[in-house]
Order: sequence, then structure tokens, then C-alpha cells
Amino acid sequence: MSSSCATCARRSELFVRLGVALDLRARDLGRLWKALELPDEQLISALGGRKRQELRSWHLSAAGQPPESATSGIERVCRHDAGYPSALRRDALAPHELHVAGGTARLQELLGAPAVAIVGARRPTDYGMEAARCLGHDLAASGVCVIGELGEGICYGAQLGAAEAGGRSVAIAAGGLDSCAPRSCAPLGRRLAATGCVVSELPCGARARMWATAARARSVALLAHLVIVVEAEQDSSELAAARLASARGRTIAAVPGRITSPASRGTNALLKEGVALVGGAGDALDLLYGQSPPDTPPVACSDERPVEQRLQALLRRICEGHDTISKLEGEDEQPDRTLCALAELELRGLVRRGDGGRYVPRAVTFYG
Amino acid sequence: MLARARTFTIDGLRARPVTVEVDIRPGLPAFTIVGLAGAPVREARDRVRAAVLNSGYEFPGRRITANLAPADLPKAGPGLDLALACALLAASEQAPAEPLERCALFGELGLDGELRDSHGALAVAEAAKRAGLRLLLGPGCAREALLVDDLDVGVVERLSSAVRVLAGGEPDPLPEAAAQLARPQAHPALDFDEVRGQRHAIWALTVAAAGAHNSLLCGPPGTGKTMLAQRLPSILPALSRAEAIEVTRIHCGGRKLQATGLIGDRPFRAPHHSITAAGLIGSAHNGWVGEAVLAHNGVLFLDELSEFARSTLDALRQPLEEGTVAIARARHRAVYPARFMLVAATNPCPCGYAGELERCRCSEADMARHRRRLSGPLLDRIDMSVMVGEAPVEELRSTPYATSARLRERVHCARRRQSRRLREEGVLVNAHMNARMLRAHVRLDDAAETVLTDAHRQGLLSARGAHRVLRVARTLADLRGEERVRADRVAEALTLRGDALLCNRRAA
Repeated sequence: MSSSCATCARRSELFVRLGVALDLRARDLGRLWKALELPDEQLISALGGRKRQELRSWHLSAAGQPPESATSGIERVCRHDAGYPSALRRDALAPHELHVAGGTARLQELLGAPAVAIVGARRPTDYGMEAARCLGHDLAASGVCVIGELGEGICYGAQLGAAEAGGRSVAIAAGGLDSCAPRSCAPLGRRLAATGCVVSELPCGARARMWATAARARSVALLAHLVIVVEAEQDSSELAAARLASARGRTIAAVPGRITSPASRGTNALLKEGVALVGGAGDALDLLYGQSPPDTPPVACSDERPVEQRLQALLRRICEGHDTISKLEGEDEQPDRTLCALAELELRGLVRRGDGGRYVPRAVTFYG
Repeated sequence: MLARARTFTIDGLRARPVTVEVDIRPGLPAFTIVGLAGAPVREARDRVRAAVLNSGYEFPGRRITANLAPADLPKAGPGLDLALACALLAASEQAPAEPLERCALFGELGLDGELRDSHGALAVAEAAKRAGLRLLLGPGCAREALLVDDLDVGVVERLSSAVRVLAGGEPDPLPEAAAQLARPQAHPALDFDEVRGQRHAIWALTVAAAGAHNSLLCGPPGTGKTMLAQRLPSILPALSRAEAIEVTRIHCGGRKLQATGLIGDRPFRAPHHSITAAGLIGSAHNGWVGEAVLAHNGVLFLDELSEFARSTLDALRQPLEEGTVAIARARHRAVYPARFMLVAATNPCPCGYAGELERCRCSEADMARHRRRLSGPLLDRIDMSVMVGEAPVEELRSTPYATSARLRERVHCARRRQSRRLREEGVLVNAHMNARMLRAHVRLDDAAETVLTDAHRQGLLSARGAHRVLRVARTLADLRGEERVRADRVAEALTLRGDALLCNRRAA
């Protein structure tokens, strides 16, 4: 079993103690990355403020003390340990220590496979959510390790999809692993810890502060071989992982969106810059392995019956963005027939109900 | 000398028998009333005194004691005036005492001896019939009392006519016949043919009306949720006579309304969302009934459902489940009928534009909070939800879906089929079927079973949700006059299922 050395454990504790000062830098990611690269003594000088002396004496007294025994079910591993992910060990910016729910052995095994990060907006549209979930599901089912933050939005969708496909995924939490922030993600976190790994750089008891929420983007970016942005607004912090990954030489890709949707401006801008376009798990696998396996079947499959003509027309209108029954019903058609046809589409897994009951085409319909 | 008269006091929505005993004996002139008399009854002393004198009788200048039995029942309301005055006149030998034993007297007196209208006459008339008494009351109250069959009602306009009737004289003429059932709708102007677009929503409300299903209208602001709900009464079937009498008893007894004769419209109550739990279900004291009780046999419309206090909505669980409200307070206890059809309207998220990224600015946490306010026990009892989206512009110029009269005809036929089928079960509409009745009366064909299995497999339905879908599917079949429930009906009911609109993109 792996564990952390005293120096790395002390560094994580130092981050917890400097939480407020780090929060002040969290809005500007460039400054935050610079701070996180500093060695301990310089970090105290730069950020310690009035508590500098106090922190220095604590730092000295804590030297050489073995880290507290870990909470049950949570293992710690530091960069001086063989079990530490090699992608992080090479980078000064990476965290020095990881706390892992699900076991370091499993983390090592999962990261042995090619890893794809799925990132994007915290407040996605139904389309983005569907795309993230479908990508997460299909990639996990293809034996790829899905990496993402444990939080709201696109990353939730991707992790949920991966969990549904058997859970080959690594989720990065912002705070200590004994609690989950936001709390609404706790059930998913438990589910992932059972089949995959939930990872945090901070010890148990640490709050999910603003800086930690922003800083985990670096773990996501560094662990992945390929970063896919599903939906992001222009110049948003949601693109941080993609920018960092591209600076470190990782491949990045984006899922295209509508040009009228503000939620897709960031991804569409990335595509314009020339990043690869991903329209499904097949494209992502092409980017990872460089060649297309002969006609990959879509993994999320609905039943095989062909879609009849009258349903085809309705499905087409839903795909075009007519998402409420009021928009879908025609003057010449009886409302009961429309209601009935919509239920059939829903039953066959071609559409689902999104926010406010709106109709959202399932990703499987796009494969045609 | 001692005389007795019989009357009733209103307790909740019921009338309880009260015996008024008046004793007159020598002593200093005094008039005392004992027996838990409320303020209006204590003030009766002065009204009775003036009425007796102004009617040309003598007010005995001796010691008068009036006792209201039973002594432990609080008496409220001015309806005891007439009985008190007649007992007093009998005790002073100005009126015959013996016929007082066979009559019930009810009414408030004016100072000139004329009888005024007072509320609760219908309940009093029913109680008088049970007690086998003749009922003497004022002309206004008589309009309500005449709704009770086989009751000997004597109309008296003044105190002196009451004395005349007791002595064997003829009562005053009856007022014109009590209002008939087929009264015009309260808002004849509200009709579904004014609604453009939203054809599926009108159809869904027709289904809801046909099966009395509780339903939820959900959609962005300004799409016509309230407009649709307000037109619901125009397609509800008329009240039966028994239902109309129940409604009249509640409205005239519980809210102290003036007697207006029989109420023929289905009640439509739309309380503001600032209402309290007591305002919604009522209070045991004094028989004050709440909006849920006033909506008995009709519609309770809760607009902006998410703005109602959680505790207020929780108070609706019992009436939705059992059709009654049982209230118990420190010294009072009351059970009121409250079987209504619940129609609620809400926005899908706090700002109302969920799913439209350009307009909706609600965070995931806002949405979760909004869903939490709506979900839970109340949503479990809602059979249908209707999605009211923005209608495209060309729809606004289209022909209306149907007139209310045509829809009401269909609703009426469907209700008749239901009541025929469910007669032995003791319920009238599909919405009130329990699990056993569902098994007995909802027969699916093979294709419909497949649809239901598919829905379970796709995760669209829970076990409880399946019951709600079956109820709605039964109503859909009834609207078309089909005996077996076909696959199309189940599919249609699935689109209208209660929780579809609040499903969450994360849990989907």
C-alpha cells in the first residue's frame, strides 16, 4: 500500500492554511498557477501576510512528522511514491499529494489506459448535457479512462455517463473527500468511488474553497491525453483545463454547438482556432489511437426497429429545436395523435424530457 | 311559568338541536340568559324585548330566566331569537305553549318584530327533518329550507305571524320557487374558443375534467396557463342535485353567506399564494371553512404553486387523499368534506424560462430548490401535467381547437360511463380509483401492456407513477367510448404523466 511522505503531507496542509490568500488569486488563473508552483518557504513569504511568522514556525515544527493516519477508505499517495501518476510527477504545477477514494492501485490501473478529460460549462444546455453523457458513456465502455471534475454541469454529465457504462472514470473533487461539495454530487461521488476513483489534492476536512475548485483543472488537464470541451462560453474559466492542456502539449478537441447559442461560443471559437472536432466517441478514439477501427457501432443503442415515417417527421422537428409540444403540434393534427407519437419516441429512447419538460433528442439519434 | 321552544345552533356545517327554556316568576324585573351563549345570543335580550313590545305584546316586568340546553354546547349566531321570543310569549301566556313542542323555530329578529335572513338555514332544515319537527322560519331562509324534500316548512314574516301559526293559523305565502339547478354559468364569457394554439393543453384539460384528475400546468410566463385554467369550469359537468345541496350547505353555512337558494355552478376557488394553512383548510372554531372545503365538488386552482408556503401545501395531503378535512383544535373538532379537483400552475424554474439558455439565468441550485418546493407529497397526488409552451406566431392566428360546449358534451359522456362502471365501488370518477379498482376496471390489451413494460424499462415510470398513468389512460378510453384500454391511450397518458415536467436533466 502506498502512502505520502511527511514533506508532501505538510505541503497539502500548508495549502489548507493558506486558503484565504489563495482564494484572492483564484480569479486570475495565471497568478494562481504561479503561486502553486512555488516551493513551501517562498509560498509562505508570498502569501503568508501577517501570519507569516506563525506559519514559518508551524512549518518547521511539522517537519518530519508522519502524516495523520488516513480516514478509512481513503488512501494517500505522494509524488515520491511509485504509485503516483507519472503524468503529474513530471510537472511542477501538479499537486504533490493525492487523496484517493477507491484505492491507489485502482487509480494506477485506470490511468494505465489512455485517458480522456471531458470538461465544459457548469450551466450547460440540455444538448450539452446529452453530448457529455453520451461521450462519457461510450468512452468508458470502450475501455478509455474518463477524467473530469466532480461538480455540476458538463462534468456531471460525463461522469454520470461513465458510471452508467461501468465506471472507468477518475473524478477530481475540490475539497476533502470526507464531504462532497456541491452536496448534490455526493450520490454520484459514492457511485464512482465504488467502481472508479475520486481524487482530491487536499486532506479530509478541507473545505472546497474557490481556489481549489479552480485549481483542480490542472490535475484534469495533466492527467488526460485528450481534453474534450463539450460546451463553454467564450473566455470563460470553464476553458482553463483546455488552455492548460494545450500549453502542456496535450491534444484538445471540442464538440460543435449552434452558432446562436452563447453556451457554445467558447467551443465554436476553439474549433475556429483549429482544434479537432468531436461528434461522438468514435472521433475521440480516432484522436487517441490515430486510426479508425472499422465502423465502430454506437454503444448507447436504442432498439433496432426502424422509425416509421410519421415519427421521422416529428423527430426531425425535435432535432431542429422545436422542443415544446406547443411548437410541435400542427393545426391539422389532432392533439391526441401528437401526444401519442411523442410518447412513442420517448419509449424508444430517441428523445427524453429535459428542463421544464422540453423534448431533447438523445445523442443516439444523431448517429442516424 | 315555564315554556319550552326548540331550535338549532350552527356548529361547523351541522345544526345541533337546542332547547330554549324560559321561566318567569315574581321578582325584580330582570332578563338573564344562561347556557354558553355567544355574543349574538346575549344581545338577543334587547332585540327580543323590542320586538315583543313593537309587535303589540306585553313584556313581562318580572324575573325572566332563559336557559339554552344542552348547557355545555356553545351557541353562536342570532338564529335563536325567534325561539327565545316565542318561548317568552308562551311563558307569559300570550302564545300557546303546547304547539311549541312540535315546531322548530329559527331566525333573527329585527327590533320591529320582522324576521331577518340568517345563514345555515339549509343545515337547520335538514336537522329539523331528522328530528321530525315542523320548521318555522323567515322568507329568506325558506328559499334554502325548501330544498329539503318532505319537510313541513312554515314561512313567517314577523313575530306576530309566528304566534298566529302556532295558534293554528295559516302561514305566510311561500316566496317564489327556489332557484332551479340549471343556472347560467357565472362567467359565460370564459370559453375555450378564445384560446388560440395550445391545442394539446385544451385537450389535456378536457381529459382532466372528464376524470377529475389533479393536474399541473407548467410553462414560461405569459403562455396562458391561468387563461386555460380559468376556462376549466366551462367544460365541467353540471352539479347533480345532491352535490348542489352539499355545495350550498358549505357556502351558506361555512362562510356565513346570505341565503341565495341553490348553488348550481361547480365552485372554482383560486386563492392567492399568500394563503395560510388555516385559510386553506379552515378552522374548527365557529365553523369557518377554508378554500379547500369551499372547492368541494369543484376546482381548487393554485396559481404560482411554487410561491405557496410548504406547510400550506402539506395541509392539502389529507383532503387529496381522503376527500375530507378533519381539524382538531384545543376545544373544537370538525370534519368538513373537501373532495375537489386540484389544478396548479407553475413556472418550470424561478425565472420561468428553463431550457432557453438565452433567457434563463437560474443556476442548478436554483432549479433544485424550485423542484424541491414542488415535489414531494403533493406531486405524488397529481395525475397529469400539461406543458404549456410558447405557441408559434402562426398558431395565434389559427382556428380555435373547440368550443367549451362541445368539450363539455364529451366530458359529460365520459363521466356517465365512469359512474356506470364504478357505481358499485362507491366512487364516481376515475381519479378516485384505488389500486384494487384499477386492477378490476382497467383492462389493457397486449400492445398496451408492452408499452407499459417499455416505459418501466426506459425508466420513465415508477410503480406509483404507473397507477397514475393507468387512471388517465382509463379516462382517455372513456372519452372515446372504448371498453378496453389500447396501447395508444397508454402512450398518450405517458406523455401527460405527472412528473414529466419536473424531471431533471441529471437524473434523466
